[in-house]
Amino acid sequence: MIAIRGCDLGKSYGHYRVFDRLSVEVEEGQCYALFGPNGAGKTTLLRILATLSRPSTGRFEIAGHDGLTEKETVRGAMLFLAHGSYLYDELDAVENLRFALALRGLTLTDRQIKLALDRVAIGPFADLKTRYYSAGMKKRLTVAKAMLIRPKVLLLDEPYTSLDESGMRLMNQYLRDLAGEGAAVLMTTHDRVRSAEVAHRVGVLDKGRLQECSVEELKAHAIF
Amino acid sequence: MPFFRVIRWVAWKDLISEIRSRETISSMFFFALIVILVFSFSFSMDQSETRELIAGIIWVAFAFTGIIGLGKSFSAELQNDCLEHLQISPASKGAIYLGKLAANLLFMLIVEIILFPMFVIFFNLDVVEQLPVLLLIFALATLGLSTVGTLFSAMTVQIRAREVMLPILLLPLAVPVMIAAVEATRGALNGSPIAMYGNWLQLLAVFDVVFTVMSFWVFEWILDS
Repeated sequence: MIAIRGCDLGKSYGHYRVFDRLSVEVEEGQCYALFGPNGAGKTTLLRILATLSRPSTGRFEIAGHDGLTEKETVRGAMLFLAHGSYLYDELDAVENLRFALALRGLTLTDRQIKLALDRVAIGPFADLKTRYYSAGMKKRLTVAKAMLIRPKVLLLDEPYTSLDESGMRLMNQYLRDLAGEGAAVLMTTHDRVRSAEVAHRVGVLDKGRLQECSVEELKAHAIF
Repeated sequence: MPFFRVIRWVAWKDLISEIRSRETISSMFFFALIVILVFSFSFSMDQSETRELIAGIIWVAFAFTGIIGLGKSFSAELQNDCLEHLQISPASKGAIYLGKLAANLLFMLIVEIILFPMFVIFFNLDVVEQLPVLLLIFALATLGLSTVGTLFSAMTVQIRAREVMLPILLLPLAVPVMIAAVEATRGALNGSPIAMYGNWLQLLAVFDVVFTVMSFWVFEWILDS
């Protein structure tokens, strides 16, 4: 079943057209890596699918729900990990997670939260205000949040940025697990090596056009 | 219920963040303290003159202090793109608004409760008998200011000149609250029977209900746009 479906999506800022008539589909259990040069519109596409920005033209569906008319249902099914960490500096890791979960109507036990923090190697810093976290630690904490939420659709904007080697391995393990559970993953990235380890499909967005290529081509650096 | 849980968590998050950083409360408190000091040294008043003018001075201090707190209510969400987090969360946007409103109301009331004794001392007021009704006036008027202020704080948060725009948009709409608050406070401080200024209390209550309901409904549209 198709979990992410964008049909003829277009986005313009005034006279500047980012992309036009762009269609994309990601099935359940698939991980789609989206490449493209800076300014190609990768983040714009993700923000549209995350219901943060309205497309100028076209429609999209997330987990079978219309993204324009059923926003709240779409937001419940989807999780967007953007450049911003969405963390409150004055709260510690556990408090930040509890707050994020509460906004989604989820209540988890201390043990479940601690396990997730230990999995991302943030456990020893659980009581520390996140204002003292490095960018990599913040990214790990957002992975812990995603682990606890277990969304049907995960949208990631450059997930490997700020992560160290073990952090990238952790991210990929999580993406594999999530896709294995049947979730659809759509990520934008510039990291060919790391994304090739998890991506089932690869697309390149350039000059307003989305072109699909194989993972083999990606590995061989034969794209753009 | 998830709706009330969201209200509680949003209010808790704002309160705990403020308790730890003390950024908003301290700036609100020092601004109000300066206002009190300036007015107390500017006017040489006897008791009867004080009672006529003090209500206006109190509400000028409370309103402008409140604007400082209200302005920071949503601008704090810009850090780490937390505003986006609220936008794309599946939680009821009305519940998020009520959580923010609860936190703002509490901040303003805390500052008012700390500042009012200073007014009593600096302006030599005798308020013991009128204290319950004064607290009622403060609660109603502060709710009115917070209701509209929380909404406008969200509306102006993405504007570059938000510190300027918030008072420009908020104060004209808050005029009924300010007038009613000043008139009711003056009546209470003069020791008039409550029937003499009861209409102003009713106006405050109606304003609170109307703007809380209206803001609750339009908040989702404001946050999404």
